[in-house]
Amino acid sequence: MSASSPDTVALETELLLVQRLRDRDEGAMTIFYDKYAAALYGVILRIVKKEETAEDVLQEAMVKIWHSFSSYDTGKGRLFTWVMNVSRNLAIDKIRSKQYRVGSRTQPLEDSSAAMRLAADTTFRPEHIGLQEMTRQLNPDQRQIVDLLYFGGFTQSEVAEELNLPLGTVKTRARAAIKVLSKLVR
Amino acid sequence: MMDMQQYIESGILEEYALGVLSADERTEVERVAQQEPAVARELVAIVSGLDAYAAAHAVAPPDALRERTLQAWENAIRETGPAVAPSAPVTVAAVATPAPRMAVAPAEPVTATAMPASDGGAVVRQMPAAASAGRTRWLVAASIALLLISGLGNYLLYNRLRKTESSLELAQAEQSRYAATQQAALNERDQQLAILRNQAFRSVELKGTPKAPDALARVYYNATTKAVYVDVRNLPELPEGKQYQLWALDNGQPVDAGMLNTATATGDSIQQMKNIASAQAFAMTVEDIGGKPAPTMSTLTVIGNI
Repeated sequence: MSASSPDTVALETELLLVQRLRDRDEGAMTIFYDKYAAALYGVILRIVKKEETAEDVLQEAMVKIWHSFSSYDTGKGRLFTWVMNVSRNLAIDKIRSKQYRVGSRTQPLEDSSAAMRLAADTTFRPEHIGLQEMTRQLNPDQRQIVDLLYFGGFTQSEVAEELNLPLGTVKTRARAAIKVLSKLVR
Repeated sequence: MMDMQQYIESGILEEYALGVLSADERTEVERVAQQEPAVARELVAIVSGLDAYAAAHAVAPPDALRERTLQAWENAIRETGPAVAPSAPVTVAAVATPAPRMAVAPAEPVTATAMPASDGGAVVRQMPAAASAGRTRWLVAASIALLLISGLGNYLLYNRLRKTESSLELAQAEQSRYAATQQAALNERDQQLAILRNQAFRSVELKGTPKAPDALARVYYNATTKAVYVDVRNLPELPEGKQYQLWALDNGQPVDAGMLNTATATGDSIQQMKNIASAQAFAMTVEDIGGKPAPTMSTLTVIGNI
């Protein structure tokens, strides 16, 4: 890949943003929103399904990110990874709360085509490989497992139980699926 | 080195990235990654893969949400976090005479009741001051107020400037990233074109068997370098859990030439296969994912002689 120099620029921009958030610079939150809201909102929506709930969770996530920013350690990973995990966990907590339990737990699976449609008409994001492209590389079994683990907040044992598969199979498929995803961005 | 490979293959790094490990296990993974560059590299690749998957799900939130979210965030941090701002108005209130400062009244009672009890002298000296001194204090108060307003104005403008600068910087970063992505795609196409134009490559048409009469694929074989590329024109859609496997036929013996990945099988890209020492024909069969050591002849889909 010849992309090392733009990556450095992006990293610098990210570190600048991190520095401003660390300095409790409130103006940085607007930049943060413009840079990350679409990605966070997309994943939250994928998890909670309802737009109003997604909006609430996004707001909660912004507040949480601001308040617990001191616990973010640049040495342990990118800002994107950290904020995505904070948001994802909040969204998963939401669907695990009482009101949401009423619906079927396997709902994320059936809804994948809807999520794909939603994702298709987002603003053009050239730095990202499209969802269609990524899912085409995963076979349906792999995608199902990644989605349960990543969007459903299931542990591997829970996935095994849910899909009636041996734990070893779940682990192998999860590993293979993530390997495919990693290769796409390498 | 061997046990690190085992560690990587145990699946614990994937679990780390998915966030299903306990705090202790997480710390342990971080410790290992810090000491073992191979583990660190693998971990970065895994995390980037999941990040990209997450990013691919991006949905632009409704425009109105931006204002609402930022406002809600601001309200929330005002409620919980003690702000630094209130200290400034208190200073103004202390200097000014109480009467014209109705706006800051809530702050007054505290000062008024607390002061006489502990340090009454200071308040008493200020209250009966002459009218001219009162006017001077008024002017001082007004100046301070103006200074604060001007300072606030500067601060806001400065903030806006910084915001604009950062947005510009972000836009530039995105743009150069886009250019790099396009360049990489172009390089890949150039490489593929070079293969097609290279005289040393022989093109072999693989035609559909009666089972799939419309199927068509092409193999490019370089007998000198032994390189094999495959370019799919049209292949029947695969059943679940199956993959196309390419075979080279050398003196009637099938030799495994590798598995076609999804993008290749759907005709989206040209794929380099395993090197083949010698062949008179190529063929493709449908096999379980990962392939077989010997072809399942009943699933022969395309075949062609060099």
